[in-house]
Amino acid sequence: MEIKKTAIAGTLESSDVQIMLTQGTDGIVFDLVSDVAKQFDDAIKQTINQVLSEYGIQNVIVKVVDKGALDMVIKARTVAVVQRALDTVGEPKWEVL
Amino acid sequence: MNVFANGQSVDLMTVLNNKEWRSHYQESLKIQYPTAIIISIKLNIPGPIKSSPLLKDSYHRGLRDIKHDLKQFETVHEQLFIERITGPEGFLVVLGDLKAVKLATISFEEKSIIGRLFDIDIMTEKDDQQLSRRRLGYPARTCLICDKDAKICIKQGAHTLESGYDAINKICTIYMKKQITIPKQSQNQLVQAAMTGLLYEVSLNPKPGLVDPVSNGAHSDMTVFTFIDSSLALQQYFNQAYALAHDFSGDDLTVMFETLRQLGVHAEAEMFEATHDVNTHKGAIFSLGILISAIAYGTRVSGVTVDDLQKIITKMTAGLVQRDFKKLYEKKQKLTAGERQYQQYQLPGIRGEAAAGFPMVMDTALPFLLKSVGTTSQRLLDTLMKIAGSIVDTNLIKRAGSPDILKELNQWSTMYFSLGGSQTAAGITYLEKLDTEFVQRHLSIGGTADNLISTIFLARLVGGI
Repeated sequence: MEIKKTAIAGTLESSDVQIMLTQGTDGIVFDLVSDVAKQFDDAIKQTINQVLSEYGIQNVIVKVVDKGALDMVIKARTVAVVQRALDTVGEPKWEVL
Repeated sequence: MNVFANGQSVDLMTVLNNKEWRSHYQESLKIQYPTAIIISIKLNIPGPIKSSPLLKDSYHRGLRDIKHDLKQFETVHEQLFIERITGPEGFLVVLGDLKAVKLATISFEEKSIIGRLFDIDIMTEKDDQQLSRRRLGYPARTCLICDKDAKICIKQGAHTLESGYDAINKICTIYMKKQITIPKQSQNQLVQAAMTGLLYEVSLNPKPGLVDPVSNGAHSDMTVFTFIDSSLALQQYFNQAYALAHDFSGDDLTVMFETLRQLGVHAEAEMFEATHDVNTHKGAIFSLGILISAIAYGTRVSGVTVDDLQKIITKMTAGLVQRDFKKLYEKKQKLTAGERQYQQYQLPGIRGEAAAGFPMVMDTALPFLLKSVGTTSQRLLDTLMKIAGSIVDTNLIKRAGSPDILKELNQWSTMYFSLGGSQTAAGITYLEKLDTEFVQRHLSIGGTADNLISTIFLARLVGGI
């Protein structure tokens, strides 16, 4: 599935994560900045990848600014940003959460 | 103290939506005040409960400190208390140097104990990022529990929510104790407050199992008059305890305490003489003596906070439990009730309470009494039952013959408050019923009564009763 428009979810508040999706052509490309140690980078990407694959998104640029968000927060923000990018905000895919 | 009592739980999406709401609010303030500094204030509370009466109270107390720390900056917009289901929060817009404002808020977060619970973000229109601690070369905020980087502990799920709640309750308790100051006292005021404690306690009724003017409770050998005689006999001792500490010139407060104990031994003899060998106030001699000395010592120059008073008491009684009980096996005379219980159940009793700075009185009972409402009698009955709800009453254990009785005591206290306490007829009837049961089972809560005496004494000194 292709995303329809650039979308953003989350904030730069502490314990939150801000995720922006823009159209891409070269697979899933991450641009990740985290407040927390590098050791969590892979875990963050893995969580986001999982949600993207649930929605069948293969090509997208994912800009992530992590402010120390918990895994469940990252998941919730990713679901929100995907829905905004796909224009399906009214029909959430709750089973992903 | 449980700041989460009567709190409301929220789910994750509510918290996340609130973050977006806050972020939009901040953006709108930036547009409205493009040359000013936006300060966003909230509490940092883990878990599903973000708001409760005491959390809101803590927020308001913290706000006072924040406003004080920021008073040099001109305020152009002030909306300091917005009640959200996700916790109280507020916004302040000021003019001035961005870095200076951030430094003032960092100082609040670090120096004020309650500041540890606050999260203050600073931003301006021209900057697309908040000014972080890191950009100013400050370390990241530390975890409430282990002092490592808070964000890493959160990510790793390093601690249980329970331990987080404990840490927050502890912070709020210490903060509150620093807010209660006992003013400098004259010898006379201090002695009178001690007498007030003794006489109010014995006058209060209906008390389960204890002596009061209406009932002798489960005590066949004493009446309210015995207690009046006993109280009057202790007046001299209270004066001595004051003079001792007021004139004490050494550094080692355990030396002062040892002298106090000698005075206490004499006071016990005076008491027994006045009561014809009935133990009315042995616990109070110990506790009030320490409190009077500690206050006399702590207020030699000016007032003392309850927090500092506790520190003086722990210095006075350092090593007390170990020293006293080490000698038990060598002791030839009959053991006291407290000594026997230590031997049997390893309960440190009143010595343990003193060595910890009387936490039952200072952390639980005094704040409760100061906040209570109603007539003096209603407030004191509720405070008595509040103490009963969490005390290890060694006097009760002695009478019941087993510490198992404490579970029952706790249930009685819970029941009393669920009936509405002293403000309802049902609550008072319940106390009368308890009194009957105590008399039948020959039970009494002398330890609870001693704690009430100390609590009334302190409340009187801070003008709270």
